Amino acid sequence: MDIGTISLILLIGMLTLLAIGMPLGFASGFLAVVVMVLKFEPTLVTDPFIYGFDFAQWTVGSGVLSRSFGTGPMNILAQRLYGITTNYVLISVPLFIFMATLLERSGIARDMYSCLNMWMSRTRGGIAVVTALMAIVMAAMSGIIGGEVVLLGLIALPQMLRLGYNQNLAIGTICASGSLGTMIPPSIVLIFYGLITETSIHALFKAAFLPGFMLAGLYIIYILVRTRINPELAPLPEPSADAMTVKDKLIYGPTIVTMLVGAGAAIVGLRWIYIHVGARFNPKMIDDTTALIGNSVLWVCGGIVALAAVFIFFLVGVATAKDAWAKSKGMVAPLLIVFVVLGSIYGGITGITEAAAMGSLAVLTLIWIRKEFSFTLLREASMRTFKSTGTIIWVTLGATALAGAYTIAGGPAYVANLIVGYELPTLGVLLVMMVIFLFLGAFMDWTGIVLLVMPVFLPIVLKLPMNELGLTGGLDSPSMVRVWFGILFCVNMQVSFLSPPFGPAAFYLKSVAPPHITLPDIFRGFLPFMCMQIIILALILLVPEITTVFL
Amino acid sequence: MKEHQGSGPLDMVTHTFSRIMMWAPFFIVLIILYEVVMRYFFAAATLWVNEMSLWIAGGIYLSAGLYALLQRSHIRIFIVYDIVPLWLRRVFDILSTLCVAIFAFALIWGGFGEAKVKFWRWETFGTAFDPPIPATNKPLILTVMFFLALQAISNLVRDWPAAPWVRKIFDISVSAVIIGLASTAAFTLYIVPPEGHAVPLKWQIGIGIFLSGAVILVIYGLFRDFNKTPAPISEMDEIEEEVEIIKGQTSIPDEILTGDPPKKTS
Repeated sequence: MDIGTISLILLIGMLTLLAIGMPLGFASGFLAVVVMVLKFEPTLVTDPFIYGFDFAQWTVGSGVLSRSFGTGPMNILAQRLYGITTNYVLISVPLFIFMATLLERSGIARDMYSCLNMWMSRTRGGIAVVTALMAIVMAAMSGIIGGEVVLLGLIALPQMLRLGYNQNLAIGTICASGSLGTMIPPSIVLIFYGLITETSIHALFKAAFLPGFMLAGLYIIYILVRTRINPELAPLPEPSADAMTVKDKLIYGPTIVTMLVGAGAAIVGLRWIYIHVGARFNPKMIDDTTALIGNSVLWVCGGIVALAAVFIFFLVGVATAKDAWAKSKGMVAPLLIVFVVLGSIYGGITGITEAAAMGSLAVLTLIWIRKEFSFTLLREASMRTFKSTGTIIWVTLGATALAGAYTIAGGPAYVANLIVGYELPTLGVLLVMMVIFLFLGAFMDWTGIVLLVMPVFLPIVLKLPMNELGLTGGLDSPSMVRVWFGILFCVNMQVSFLSPPFGPAAFYLKSVAPPHITLPDIFRGFLPFMCMQIIILALILLVPEITTVFL
Repeated sequence: MKEHQGSGPLDMVTHTFSRIMMWAPFFIVLIILYEVVMRYFFAAATLWVNEMSLWIAGGIYLSAGLYALLQRSHIRIFIVYDIVPLWLRRVFDILSTLCVAIFAFALIWGGFGEAKVKFWRWETFGTAFDPPIPATNKPLILTVMFFLALQAISNLVRDWPAAPWVRKIFDISVSAVIIGLASTAAFTLYIVPPEGHAVPLKWQIGIGIFLSGAVILVIYGLFRDFNKTPAPISEMDEIEEEVEIIKGQTSIPDEILTGDPPKKTS
């Protein structure tokens, strides 16, 4: 059967199966089987009784697929599944889920909120900014959304509404910044994209850094500007006892920074001593790759620690330092986790999988220190992780089988020729793709899109003339094009989290919002934020250099 | 966490093995911790941690799918499903179960030969630590696919308001299938293994324990309460559950969550 017909059947089949409520992963798996049958032995469907109804002779199996049990082209599907189960980077997915479920169950986020609140509540629009900041920090800790929106909706929404903040502004801030989890590295969307398209996930994470923070920065600027223009949107709270004055901040800020820098320097110094003492017993401790072991490192660290000590003990005094610590310690724990996760990825200390494991461990340790640890907590978190892993991985397994079958049938080449055949300008092709992403995103889960659509779209993008991508043509290798397209996709998915009628962020928020806030209200609040997301999307589309600065 | 405990023999098996496998992510975290500590504090990187985690992770992915199916938590779209009448939903359910079964059948049809060869040859990964990943994961994929199809049918029977005796017949036949397959496997493994097979003895014993565990669970499940109707767990329940967890952490009084915002005083 020719590939055009197969593609059509595939499309209709997918829509039908999804409409009847079949799980996405199994639907893809079944359609993979359908594609294989249509490609290799269409008589199985078109003419199953080719040998008549004489059951003595009734051997359906004489084609390529069904000739003998246990072999044949159908084995490709099992091989694709096996390929997924032996993928090292994919291990980071259950580990990141584990980390997020643990975070959700600890009070770390709540403490961060009250701490930020103390610092920012006297600023116009302060609580909205606090919400956005908190969302950014949480996004940098883990790579999934859902819990984040619920958490912000529970903590920040009641407070903003009570203070009389504009409802749309409050809702939009919570959901838009709560969705940043999949934009700011580590992001589970990028991990899957890298996996499916065989792009370096390290490169993707590096590339997502700037766009992610641009998006977050734009949200914050928007909040500040709008509340300055129209102060009624964000009334200031009554001054309370624990809100800090400007003078307090000027003292506490430098104090806490000094304490952290001093502690960091002390750790590096202690490591220097540990390594040099250890090397006497085990020469393997030092090799060419060991960083920060020169003699000057010890002097610099010692100097910094001494300066910090002088500053704290003689200039500001121990009492003030203690006070500063009490007022800011809520921020330290989350930043520490961010440092562990992102530091190990960007610093090249460990891979992404190990970073996810170390992150989970950092969260567990903090939970232990906060005396929140219990066996039930660990058990529930494990159970939850296991379930979510099954949900997300089986979409992958089904889709990878389908992608394998479709590739063998020559599908991607067919679709690529089809689109290239229209002779659209380069930008036109890209725009069509973006519109398709946005449209699919409104109805489908991102996992399905990245797994089913990407294998078709990316080859097309790679075929486009490279110097026509973007206004200035800043991409000069296919690997950069992959990375750039991945980031575009990721921003697209940011829009899809908010877009009606099924934007998941809205449903998460609805579950925690006061009853008078309806779903249409929530979607209305999203509008300006979706506009900002589309602005960033257009910017990345036109100026691809944004993604390649750090590569 | 709210979860389907399941009531039939098959649910028993899935549930129990998931209870064990759910600790695997935590275990991976622990062994990676060991690896990182060894590498950075003792400059003695291990050879086995990476491949061990790879091996275990393969098991997690596959078995987690079964658990997710038991919990009815696979990603689906409810746009049409929710608005059609009940009888049509049943038709949809039957169709999708049939599709899952065909998927499983096709995979087993195509992959059985290779899985068999790799298992008897006890093919290893060919790396430094050399775990037998192909020898275990290839058969595991097909086994899980088989159980997935069974579980899908079982879910269909249980979610259907079927008469108790229908369930009973189903339970008995599923148990018979599982016991039959387990004994065939055990028979092949211990009594008539092919010439020159290379499965180590400890693995033969391990698989034996696994098989007998499954059989015991099935028999236990047969005599346990068959006919409990499972309470449906919807997507909204999940979100609500999440809310409960986080609320427990935040100590926000309920009147703030439900009440209207006070009007501006100024």
